[in-house]
Amino acid sequence: MLRQRFEGELQRLQNEVLELGYMVQRAVANSVDYLKTRNLDGAQQIIDEDMRINSKRFQIESDVLVLIATQQPMARDLRALAAILDIIRELERTGDYGKGISRINLMIGEQDLIKPLLDIPRMCEIAMDMLARALRAYIEQDEQAARAIPMEDEQVDALYNQIRHELMGLILADRSKIEQANMLLWAAHNLERAADRVTNVCERVVFLITGELADLPDGED
Amino acid sequence: MSKMHAEHLNAFYGQKQVLADVSLEIKERQITALIGPSGCGKTTFMRTLNRMNDTIRSFHIQGQVYLEGQPIYTPEYDVVELRQRVGMVFQRPNPFPQSIYDNVAFGPRVLGTARGSELDAVVERCLTDVGLWKEVRDDLRREALALSLGQQQRLCLARVIATTPEVILMDEPASALDPVETLRIEDLMRELVAHYTIVIVTHNMQQAARVSDWTAFFLTDDGQTGQLVEYGETGKMFTQPDDRRTVDYITGRFG
Repeated sequence: MLRQRFEGELQRLQNEVLELGYMVQRAVANSVDYLKTRNLDGAQQIIDEDMRINSKRFQIESDVLVLIATQQPMARDLRALAAILDIIRELERTGDYGKGISRINLMIGEQDLIKPLLDIPRMCEIAMDMLARALRAYIEQDEQAARAIPMEDEQVDALYNQIRHELMGLILADRSKIEQANMLLWAAHNLERAADRVTNVCERVVFLITGELADLPDGED
Repeated sequence: MSKMHAEHLNAFYGQKQVLADVSLEIKERQITALIGPSGCGKTTFMRTLNRMNDTIRSFHIQGQVYLEGQPIYTPEYDVVELRQRVGMVFQRPNPFPQSIYDNVAFGPRVLGTARGSELDAVVERCLTDVGLWKEVRDDLRREALALSLGQQQRLCLARVIATTPEVILMDEPASALDPVETLRIEDLMRELVAHYTIVIVTHNMQQAARVSDWTAFFLTDDGQTGQLVEYGETGKMFTQPDDRRTVDYITGRFG
């Protein structure tokens, strides 16, 4: 097979993207779990480990640039590398949301939660499941799957609206809860953004396969 | 690990200086590419590695070149042995006007390193290593010159490795070949580098970028005397070179 050197390196980079994706998934899923269980040490760990997500992203980026410069990829090969650059950016930002949720956890600190967390973990579950499937669609180059995943963003948005409603209600009933309610709203917002980022990843997977750059319908239109 | 290195090498044809103060390392079992515009001295430099320039009477050097720490420009050094240890493949394929078999068998026969069925085995191994065996096995008595250019070039490579060299010098090895044959030679080089140290001169920067581990960039500023401008890992040379002149060359700002 010709271009073995290029193929080998491309494979390696694709696996690195997967690895980055898993790191991000774990960070976000754990951040919500720790929020629910009031695990402040866990939250601090996620904040500390965000550095590793960032370093990995920069390492992959650097390696992609070297590969483009030295191997002159064309057509699908070029799209594959361009897609990696975009996907790792989306993943890194998603990792930041895990850090953000962990910061919120620490800010709430020793206080009791103003309400048991049900919808926030549910949002997280859906968003992270979308992410896991997006990564699989990426590695398997499954256009159909990539187009289907963004449709579920609708569920995440619906949950977000529900949470907003509920928290507004709590604030109106008892103004002393406003600070924590605001923080929980922010945490939910982070998860809503995470699902949006997954949609962007899916768009890049479609681009990589077809060369088509477009917004994918997300169930709201 | 350093397989060969040049130390403050200056090269002259008579009074004319063609290389100035070149110090460069050739790392073992890696591919080092020498790049630069025409006339920059890269081929002259490569030919000092197996003293091919000795064939030109006015050629002389100052400084030294070492093979595994031993200086090769000394009166006692066995040049024939040097050229067996440091083999060369040229720009235009130059198989002997003999059979495919005899081309590959030539070196071992002359050196007396194999005979009879051993020779058959050597020929098969070398042709296999260069990816030619399946294409030619049915008629090894065929004229080498009847092969395609790409096949001839691979045959020349087989001829070189038949004498078990340690270093293979390749002077623009693919410039006479079409793009597919070029990629085949490059893939072959990546296979061979597991066993041999390879140095390649190429005016094709993209080829240097694709295939090499280390890149050395040569340039003349007076149109005559070549200098080594920059030497580094290929990935870095093509993404973040240190020298402004290297940047200008690889971005095509000057030819």
